[in-house]
Amino acid sequence: MVPPQYYLVLSAAIFCIGIFGLLTRRNALLFLMSVELMLNAANINLVAFSYYWGNVTGQTFGLFVLALAAAEVAVGIGIILTLYRNFDDVDVMNATTMRW
Amino acid sequence: MAGILEFAPAIVLLPFLSFLIALGAGRYMPKGGALAGIGATAGSFALSVATFFAVSGGQNYNQTIYTWAEGLDAVNLTFGLLIDPLSAMMLVIVTLVAFLVHVFSLGYMNDEGETGLPRYYAGLGLFTASMLGFVVADNLLMAFMFFELVGLCSYLLIGFHFRQDGPPSAAKKAFLVTRFGDYFFLIGVVAVFATFGSAAFAGPDAFPVLAEEALHGEHSVNTFLGMGEQAWFTVVGLLVLGGVVGKSAQFPLHTWLPDAMEGPTPVSALIHAATMVAAGVYLVARMYGFYVLTPTTLAIIALIGGFTALFAATMGVVKKEIKQVLAYSTISQYGYMMLGLGAGGYVAATFHLMTHAFFKALLFLGAGSVIIAMHHNEDMWDMGGLKDKMPVTYYAFLSGSLALAGIVPFAGFWSKDEVLYETLIHGLGGSPILLAAYAMGLLAVFFTGFYTFRMVFLTFHGEPRSGTARDPHGVRWNVKGPLAVLGVLAATAGLVNMVPVEKLFGIKGIDFLHQFLDGSFSSLNAHHYAELMPYSSGYIGGETGTVAIGAAVSLGLALAGAGLAHRLYNVPEPVEHTDKLGGIKTTLYNNYYQDEYQVWIATGIVQPISRALDKFDQGIVDGVVNGLSSVSLFAGGRIKRLQTGVVSNYAALLTLGLTALIIGLGLIGGWFA
Repeated sequence: MVPPQYYLVLSAAIFCIGIFGLLTRRNALLFLMSVELMLNAANINLVAFSYYWGNVTGQTFGLFVLALAAAEVAVGIGIILTLYRNFDDVDVMNATTMRW
Repeated sequence: MAGILEFAPAIVLLPFLSFLIALGAGRYMPKGGALAGIGATAGSFALSVATFFAVSGGQNYNQTIYTWAEGLDAVNLTFGLLIDPLSAMMLVIVTLVAFLVHVFSLGYMNDEGETGLPRYYAGLGLFTASMLGFVVADNLLMAFMFFELVGLCSYLLIGFHFRQDGPPSAAKKAFLVTRFGDYFFLIGVVAVFATFGSAAFAGPDAFPVLAEEALHGEHSVNTFLGMGEQAWFTVVGLLVLGGVVGKSAQFPLHTWLPDAMEGPTPVSALIHAATMVAAGVYLVARMYGFYVLTPTTLAIIALIGGFTALFAATMGVVKKEIKQVLAYSTISQYGYMMLGLGAGGYVAATFHLMTHAFFKALLFLGAGSVIIAMHHNEDMWDMGGLKDKMPVTYYAFLSGSLALAGIVPFAGFWSKDEVLYETLIHGLGGSPILLAAYAMGLLAVFFTGFYTFRMVFLTFHGEPRSGTARDPHGVRWNVKGPLAVLGVLAATAGLVNMVPVEKLFGIKGIDFLHQFLDGSFSSLNAHHYAELMPYSSGYIGGETGTVAIGAAVSLGLALAGAGLAHRLYNVPEPVEHTDKLGGIKTTLYNNYYQDEYQVWIATGIVQPISRALDKFDQGIVDGVVNGLSSVSLFAGGRIKRLQTGVVSNYAALLTLGLTALIIGLGLIGGWFA
C-alpha cells in the first residue's frame, strides 16, 4: 500500500502547477485549466485520505466535486465566450474596464 | 339653552370656513368673498351672544376636544375649550367687532375698487378665527399656537398692499418685534410644562391652582436653577410676560404698532380693538390666578403699564396723521389695562379691555370713513370742517373721542376711572411702586384728553384746509352702519359697571361686570383673585371719599386736556402750537428715537456678533467638517489605485494573502518553534 504522504506530495505538486499557471498565463482558457488543476489536487487529497481510512465517504465527495467542476467549466467557458465577444481576445490583461 | 355651549367650537370654525371659502372661491364670488366673511362672523356673533347668556345663567364649559400628543408618564398636549365669563365676554367683543369690520370693509375696500379682495377677506377670516381660538383656549400651549397664528395673520394683513414700499416693511417689523417677545413666551410655556406637568387654565390640574398649593406647601413642583418656588414662579411669569409685552405693544416692544398703520384701516381697527393687541392683555387676565401669586411680577406689570400709558400719550400729542394719533392712543390705553392688572384690578382691566374694544374700533372705523372722504389723505392738517359734510361720522367719532378721553358718562370714563381707583387704593395700602404708576397714569389722562380733542378739532372743526376737505367723497350705509352701532356702544358700554355711582350713592347691585366675572369656576373668578392679592387697600377720607377724589381728579385732568385742545385748536385757522415745544417736539415726533436705538442695537451690536458667529461657523465648524471630508477624498483617490482591473493581480493578491494566512496560523500554532 502506497503511504498517503506520496499522494499528498503529488497533490501539492499539482496545486502548485495550477497556481503557477494562474499567476503567469494571460490566456483565459489556460486560466480555466489551471483552476481545474487546483481543484483536482484537492480531489486527490480527498480520495487518498478516504483510501487510507478505509471509508468511501471521501471518494463519494470526490465524485460530487467532479460533477461540480464540470458545471464550473460550463460557466467558465461562457465567461470566456463573452470576454472574446467584448474584447476580440481572450487575454485577461485587456479586460480592465471594471475598475474605478 | 342647555346645549348651546356644545356649539362653542363652531364660533371658531365659522370664520375659518369663511377663510377657506374666500381663499378658494373668492374670485368667483360677488364682492370678492366678503359675503362669506360677513355671514360667518354674523353666525359667530349670534352663537357668542347665546353663549354669553348661557354663561350669565351660571353655565361654564371646560372640555378637552382633542389630544394630539399623548405622553406616557409625561404631559398630554391637547386642544380644548374653556368658556367662562371672561372668554364669553371676549367672544362677544371679538365677533361683534369682526362682523362690523367686515361690513365696513365693503365700503372701505370694495367701493374703493381695491384689488386682491379674496386675499383680504381670507386674511380677515383667518385673523378672526385665530383670535377666537386663542380666546377659548383651555391651556397655555394652545393659547400660544393661536397667539402665533394671530401674529402671522397680522403680518399678512398689514402687508396687504405689498406692491408699495411701506407696508411690507411694516409687516416684517410687526412680525419680528412681536416674535421677539413670543420667544420668551415659548420658553415660558416650556417652563410651565416642566414645572407643573400641565398647562391647563382650569380644572383639577390647572397650573395656577398647582402653583397656589405649592406656595402653601401642599403640593411639590419642579423648580429650576436652584430657586425657591416664589422666585421661580416670578421667572416663569416674566417669561410669559415677554409675549404679552410684544403683542400688546408695551414699552419697549411697542415700536411695531405705529408702523402697522400701513395696513388697510379696517385691519387697524381689528388689530387694535379686538384681536392682536388685546391678546396680550387677555392672556394676563386668563392666567391671572398665576400672576397674582407673584408680587414682583405684578409690580413690574403695573410699572410697564403706567409708564407705557404716559410715554405713548406724550407722543400722540404731536402726530400729524389721524391714524398715528390713534396708534399711540392704543398703546397708551393698553398701558392702562396692564396698569389695572398689575395693580390688582382684574375686573377693572377687563372692563377697560371691553370698553376700549368698542371705542377704539369706533375711532379707527371713523378715521377710515374720514380717509375715504379725504381720498386716502391721512394728514390732519389737510382736513378741517368735515363736521357739516359728514355728520354721522362726526357724531360717532365724537362719542368715541369722549370715551377715549374719559369724559363722564362715556364708556372710557368708567373703566379708566376704575383702573386708576384700584391702583390708588392699593398704592395707598403701602405700595410706593403702585403710587408711582398711578401718578404716570394720571398724568397720561391729561395728555389723552389733549391729543384726542386736538385730533377731533383738527379733523372736523374750523375751516377746510384743502380742496378735498372742501368737497369730500361721500360714504355709504356700509360705513355709517358700523359707526352708528359702535357710537351707541361707546356711549353706553360703561354703564354695565358703574362702581363709582354704587359707592358714592350706595345703590347696590349695579356692578354687573363684577357679578358676571364672579360667575366663573371657583379658581378663576374675580373673588378668588381678590383673596390671593398681595396688596392691602388704603383710603383718603374713607372709601367714598377716595372714589370721589379719584374720579374728580381724573375727570378734571381729562377736561383740562380737552379744554386746552379746545382753546388752541377749535379756531377757524388753527396753527401748529406744538411747534413752541422746540426740541421736545422733535424728540416726540421722532418717538423718543426708539426706532433709532432699536436699529442701532440691531446694526451696532447684534450684527457684529452675528458676523463673528458666522465667521466661527463658516471657518471653524465648517472647516473641520470640510477638512475631514477632503482627507478621506484624497485618501480614497490614492487607495483606489489598488483596483487595477487586471484579474492576474487579484489572483496574485489572493495567493499572497493565503500564504500569509498560512504562515501566520503556523506561527501561532507553533510550527516554527
